[in-house]
Amino acid sequence: MTPAYQLSDIRVSYDGRDVLNIPSLSLCLNESTALLGENGAGKSTLMNLLAFVQRPDGGQIALLKQTVGARLSAEQRRRIGYVTQQPYMLHGSVRDNLKLALRLQQIPRPQHLALIEKTLSLVNLMPQADQDAATLSGGELKRAAIARAIVYEPDILLLDEPFSHLDQRHIRQLESSIRQFAAQDGKTVIFSTHDRLQAMAIANNSINLVNGRVTSAPLLNLYHGQSQQQLFNTGKLLIHIGENDTGARHIAIDPRQIIVSDQPLHHTSVLNSFPGRLTQIAEEAGHIRLLIDCGEPFYAVITPTSLHNLALQLGDTVWVNFKASAVSVF
Amino acid sequence: MGYFADSFAAAFALLLKLDPEIMRIIFTSVFISLSASVIAALLAIPAGVAMALKRFKGKATIQHLLNTLMAMPTVVIGLLLYGLFSRAGPLGEWGLLYTPTAIIIAQAILIFPIMMNLTVTAVNAADPRLIPTLRSLGARTLPMMLQVIRTTRFAILAGVITGFGRAIGEVGAAMMLGGNIEGFTRTMTTAIALETSKGEFELGLALGMVLLVIAFVLNFLLSVLNRA
Repeated sequence: MTPAYQLSDIRVSYDGRDVLNIPSLSLCLNESTALLGENGAGKSTLMNLLAFVQRPDGGQIALLKQTVGARLSAEQRRRIGYVTQQPYMLHGSVRDNLKLALRLQQIPRPQHLALIEKTLSLVNLMPQADQDAATLSGGELKRAAIARAIVYEPDILLLDEPFSHLDQRHIRQLESSIRQFAAQDGKTVIFSTHDRLQAMAIANNSINLVNGRVTSAPLLNLYHGQSQQQLFNTGKLLIHIGENDTGARHIAIDPRQIIVSDQPLHHTSVLNSFPGRLTQIAEEAGHIRLLIDCGEPFYAVITPTSLHNLALQLGDTVWVNFKASAVSVF
Repeated sequence: MGYFADSFAAAFALLLKLDPEIMRIIFTSVFISLSASVIAALLAIPAGVAMALKRFKGKATIQHLLNTLMAMPTVVIGLLLYGLFSRAGPLGEWGLLYTPTAIIIAQAILIFPIMMNLTVTAVNAADPRLIPTLRSLGARTLPMMLQVIRTTRFAILAGVITGFGRAIGEVGAAMMLGGNIEGFTRTMTTAIALETSKGEFELGLALGMVLLVIAFVLNFLLSVLNRA
């Protein structure tokens, strides 16, 4: 399968500090990929690289198998639409902005009107077409920026934190616009978000970014702190870790590796065992997700049968148990 | 005191009756400085936008040089061009010395750094999202520059007006290269500087008032642009 992007040895640093360090990464074509990470994880920087508005300090990015040199060709540029976190609308109406995008992308003039009408109705902005772009509301502005990014029919749509600072109604409208674009043939959507649920609502794939690095570790149960020999101190808990990695600043524990019990576990190889209060029970794709507050919040995934056997109630005291080897350290 | 008041009255009278000599001087001045401003703007605006957009080695040095040139005394420009244009100079055969063209060239050189510097400042002060947005929309160099100029046009125009103000008020270069020839190269400033000593105090006063009005109008335009 052709990847939309292939990144190799990508490095970006500000003031000598690495904000992005990606030895190798492929992003799938014709699929929706979510780029997950906390604020400051390097999501926006990576989006800027994928949109080719920023150049990496080192490494190569191939777009649709073609290595991109000093600058993109006009044809390559036309294949990418980019919506930044706080989109900047140019002088004039929504329609003027779309027209300018078509002009800059050198789309033949006779096609302009049809493309603009089609795009405005896709993002549901027909009523605001001739409104001054400076007077749009937050949700309308986001959709206008998406319209401007897709009016020239790119294959790849990049969205940096599209859902931030929007209310539920606007989030739903935006989700529907993005889904409609993605549903078209041969369209690739890559968006960044810090909201895992949002990601799952739209994306087929997800990529986790932590401190500028791509990690396979799940971003649920992610803790920051200091490792000291085979212990990791989060500030609230001391967690046994398998590796002796003194430089590490983060650990993550796969929710499926956590054993939940109503009694402390004895005589086992499970080194980590913390009592906590059950604060959330939710059903998720046939499994039960529990949130247990042990000082640090832990997500655990159990089966409906286990839930029944343990007879758990919100507010119960339960034990969170996991092996030192279940902890990913990075 | 009577002399001063009488002179003011006479100067007003000269202006009110649209004295042909005064009108000719004002026209010469405005024509020369306007021409210089147009030429300087046509060169300085693209240069300033390009400099603001591009990252290159020696950018900081050029910036320092421009700042230095902004403060260049007008007589120094006059002196250098006099050397070039005088009969014995390398461009002597062009016969430019003591012509309006010589003053236009001198004033254009004088205000080019001002306009370029203020253009760089205008583009740098634009929204930092402007250029990445245009780049992501596929803007190549020329369309990018045109859009940037369009977006920052008020601030750039303020730079052009500042340059015009400097040109119309300068006296050193106009005097050295124009020679204050009546009806040809006599500008408001050279007339004030040279005719007053010949006893034409009223004329000088009248032209001084015109210059003040021009300065006032230019500053008014600048404040309007700053609000836009």
